[in-house]
Amino acid sequence: MRPSRQECDINDILQKLLDKGLVLNADLIVSVAGVPLLGVNLKAAIAGIETMLEYGMMEAWDKRTREWYEKEYAKKVAVPLAMDEEIITKAFGSVWSNQGIANTWKPGIWYLTNNRLFLWRKEPGEIIFEAPLDKIEGLTVQKETHFKTERDELYLQFTSGEVGRIYASNIGEFKEAIGNALLASLNRNKDHKNEMR
Amino acid sequence: MKEMKVIGETELGEGRYVYCVVNNVAKKSLGNIGIERAEVYTVPYKDIAAVVHACQSQPYQSRDANKVMGWILSHNDVVDGATEHFGTVVPFSFDAIVKGGDTTIKDWLREGYEKFKNELERLSQRAEYVVQIFSDQDKLVEKILVEDQALRELKEKIGKMPERAGYLFRRKFELGFNDACNAMRAKLVEEFASQIKEHVEEMEIERKISHLPENYKDKKLIAAFSCLVHKDNVRSLGQALGKISQEGYAVHFTGPWAPFSFVKLEEV
Repeated sequence: MRPSRQECDINDILQKLLDKGLVLNADLIVSVAGVPLLGVNLKAAIAGIETMLEYGMMEAWDKRTREWYEKEYAKKVAVPLAMDEEIITKAFGSVWSNQGIANTWKPGIWYLTNNRLFLWRKEPGEIIFEAPLDKIEGLTVQKETHFKTERDELYLQFTSGEVGRIYASNIGEFKEAIGNALLASLNRNKDHKNEMR
Repeated sequence: MKEMKVIGETELGEGRYVYCVVNNVAKKSLGNIGIERAEVYTVPYKDIAAVVHACQSQPYQSRDANKVMGWILSHNDVVDGATEHFGTVVPFSFDAIVKGGDTTIKDWLREGYEKFKNELERLSQRAEYVVQIFSDQDKLVEKILVEDQALRELKEKIGKMPERAGYLFRRKFELGFNDACNAMRAKLVEEFASQIKEHVEEMEIERKISHLPENYKDKKLIAAFSCLVHKDNVRSLGQALGKISQEGYAVHFTGPWAPFSFVKLEEV
């Protein structure tokens, strides 16, 4: 039998071009968007790289590439900040949303600032979820099942009594950072009140 | 209301979309055959060259699947064109973009020269072929039942039972069948691999195929291989596959492709 090359071999092309072939060194790359597309349908794949990071499809990327990507893309995101607001840390992640018809994880980039915690989506550039630090009074990490594997998720207890459920790529560190920011914010508010007296 | 400031304005610079690296000495235009009709040309260093087009330093991304598909096909066309033109290519994945201009590309080729040259040498006269072997579900069941006495007996037992009473047994059969099916597949992969091996330079057993060919959708994929084949051996590989096909399997055999699965520079 003879090998063929036809239009219907588009699937072979996809498999090769998205999954195989050389990728560039992290110092040079602008993008290696092709790498992680394996195993997702094209529609999901083109939803954007942040989304794929959220769903763990970038495991093929080594740490260096990920770091590069985070650095590179953070630059391109025009994040709205208040004048006195400083970013403490950020992480890829998502928030559990049970508003609307369907319960879903909404992915984005978490920004922790000295004032608040918010989840930012680059496209179309919106804040998906936001909480002022002084409205958060407790943090708990819990194991949950996500797509058949266990992972740690972070529960936020709000002063209003509500609970938020979030996920971030490095949840332990992220929790610690939020904890520290909460303490700092608490102390600031105390100082502020003392001054007022 | 607090005053807002905006951090990190988008800054786009010069970039080069890389299709592949080839043996070539001169700078040369290949015409407007690139993604979105970009002009594709070579950036040479010594006797090798990168096949690129000039773009902005940002990835090609779109929510329009057809558009992305178009880009991917264009990428493939350029790599095919380059193969025809220059012989051996070291192909890049879709959306590999170097930040910088031709000078950056030259520096990059200089740094990786040895690696590229070795790879071009190793891959010369060779191309990649896709081999996927499918079976009809029924044939697979039959084959498994012939070899597995316990399952066969279970099936006979179920056949004699009233519809409802058989539920647990049917479930037991299903589970047992799945295990047997996996074992059978593993065995067949080995068998096919040994039949193909002597005709290929290198072979990769694909564990996961993200995009299956349309015309085999109703069949079960048994084994998938990417093969690096010397041009003199394509015929004999075809004959080996012909034998497998005569045994009643459906064989998907495509190529020649640029050696996407066999470039081994890891990172360049």
